[in-house]
Amino acid sequence: MRALRVLDHLEEWFIAALMGVATVIVFVAVVHRYLSGMAIPGLQDWLLSLNVSWAQEATIYLFVWMAKFGAAYGVRTGIHVGVDVFINRMQSRTRARFVLFGLLAGVVFTGTIAALGARFVWDNGAHYAIFHAVGLDVEGLSTGPTTPDLEWPTWVIYLAIPLGSALMCFRFLQVAWSFSRTGELPKHDHAFVEGLDEVTPLDTAPAKP
Amino acid sequence: MNGIILFGLLVALMLTGMPVSIALGLTVLTFIFGFTEVPAQSVALKLFTGLENFEIMAIPFFILAGNFLTHGGVARRMIAFATSLVGHWNGGLGLAAVLACALFAALSGSSPACVIAIGSILMPAMVKAGFPPRFGAGVITTSGALGILIPPSIVMVMYSVSTNTSVGQLFIAGVVPGILLATMLGLTTWYRARKNNYPRQPRASWAERFTAFRKSVWGLLLIVVVMGGIYTGLFTPTEAAAMAAVYSFFIAVFVYRDLTIKDVPRVLLASANMSAMLLYIITNAVLFSFVLSNERIPQQLADWLITMGLGPVGFLLVVNLLLLIAGNVMEPSSIVLIMAPILFPVAVKLGVDPVHFGILIVVNMEVGMCHPPVGLNLYVASGITKMGITELTVAVWPWLLTMLVFLGLVTYWPTMSLWLPRLMAH
Repeated sequence: MRALRVLDHLEEWFIAALMGVATVIVFVAVVHRYLSGMAIPGLQDWLLSLNVSWAQEATIYLFVWMAKFGAAYGVRTGIHVGVDVFINRMQSRTRARFVLFGLLAGVVFTGTIAALGARFVWDNGAHYAIFHAVGLDVEGLSTGPTTPDLEWPTWVIYLAIPLGSALMCFRFLQVAWSFSRTGELPKHDHAFVEGLDEVTPLDTAPAKP
Repeated sequence: MNGIILFGLLVALMLTGMPVSIALGLTVLTFIFGFTEVPAQSVALKLFTGLENFEIMAIPFFILAGNFLTHGGVARRMIAFATSLVGHWNGGLGLAAVLACALFAALSGSSPACVIAIGSILMPAMVKAGFPPRFGAGVITTSGALGILIPPSIVMVMYSVSTNTSVGQLFIAGVVPGILLATMLGLTTWYRARKNNYPRQPRASWAERFTAFRKSVWGLLLIVVVMGGIYTGLFTPTEAAAMAAVYSFFIAVFVYRDLTIKDVPRVLLASANMSAMLLYIITNAVLFSFVLSNERIPQQLADWLITMGLGPVGFLLVVNLLLLIAGNVMEPSSIVLIMAPILFPVAVKLGVDPVHFGILIVVNMEVGMCHPPVGLNLYVASGITKMGITELTVAVWPWLLTMLVFLGLVTYWPTMSLWLPRLMAH
């Protein structure tokens, strides 16, 4: 299953990179705003000539993509928590049925959203763009709206929803499949304390009673 | 009627243990296709635009900043500073834990992060100094809850997103109640330590205090950057969060060297994982509250409560009970995102201030984090202290009781939350 492992790594790199890039963009935009207000000869003119008004919009879109693909990654790490206090008290066979039901509910929901999202994207410009690109007849098709600052076609941005949801649907199927075979779920331990063993205790002076 | 179908469906789906976000989404889908005339097109659009809000983006940034800060360096120096200030009183290290948690809460927007950062260092130190483990665990579990009350706070961002209340106002409003709760927890700690004659630290000289202050100044400066930036209007809360993320990356990697550059992708991935989970709940909760308001359910509930003769006093009591019960089965973010849209219009109609209502909800969430079965702080503390959940439950009760008293104060004394925001508005 090499292809799957490549997909896993791609997914991880993709969302980590989106997170990092978004942080840098906002940081640069804020620094730019304040530096360009300072009267530093040369630098100020250059800074004022740069346009960073798109930063806010870009951050939102980066995080929308991060959220959709991160949610799919989250299925794999078992971070999506539910109200499990009741089913955890049931017999293991009954509990397993409920867990499987929950996973399949995830498959149904994300699958539906992927389909709805794909249709929405298609109707809002993807249809036109693809037909136009391959030289087909685009008579009567909508070019779709563009975003306010970056002026990109919105369907490109919104592609995150069908793609992310489809991946998430696939992850739910994967987890359901392995659960039905091995009875094991990926579990994100919210109480896991990273780096705890490396932490050196605080040096305190000897206490007096 | 539609309200009963919606909530019935949601509760039934949630009880099966499926992720809260999926339960919310499926409820909305079933409802749209089966029971109502909401145009599917407008729901689809909501699905796309639900996250297009710059304020929500504060959440991933605060999580990232928190993940850089939990790696020891900042927390250890803050603890040393807190210990030099209050260590010589009764229950010295316990008081230092409360103070350090309060300081760390002003850097971090999440409670478990506080418990991890402060607890993992102070807990072993307290045991070594001769405190019973139960005492230490109780102090740290409950003081960690300050993380979401003292700004910045992820839960407050969630509330502001679902009710359109200003994040800045909420952040300012959290300061006074946060300090008061820290004081009350400190008093409880001091009283119990004095009664049981727990150890004290030697009194630090002013020179030692100054050295401890200077060493922890990098972390303390972050408080100035974040809160000062927001209050003076230099940054929006989201920008402040991004600045905090970059700043804490800088201290963790270059100043205190808790992390190397090679660790950074891992921290980014862990933060993205946590953020995406929260953002996914938000997307689906936005859909849910869109359907709620489209069906005019909050308005109907408000009208019904008013005809029942329930005034603000009774209403707030009911809200507290409801949230405390919900705190038994769900995580704070899900509770806020599901409950706030329905309770908020009622509160506004009854004349409750939106900011005060937000603080009240946050305090309720704090209580929920400190008791079983789903109190996250408790699980984190159990990971650090290697104590069982049952034993921890017993350990936290004196402080939990203090928090309940504090909840009463917050509920019926709105001035406490509203004084500072009103003062700053002038």
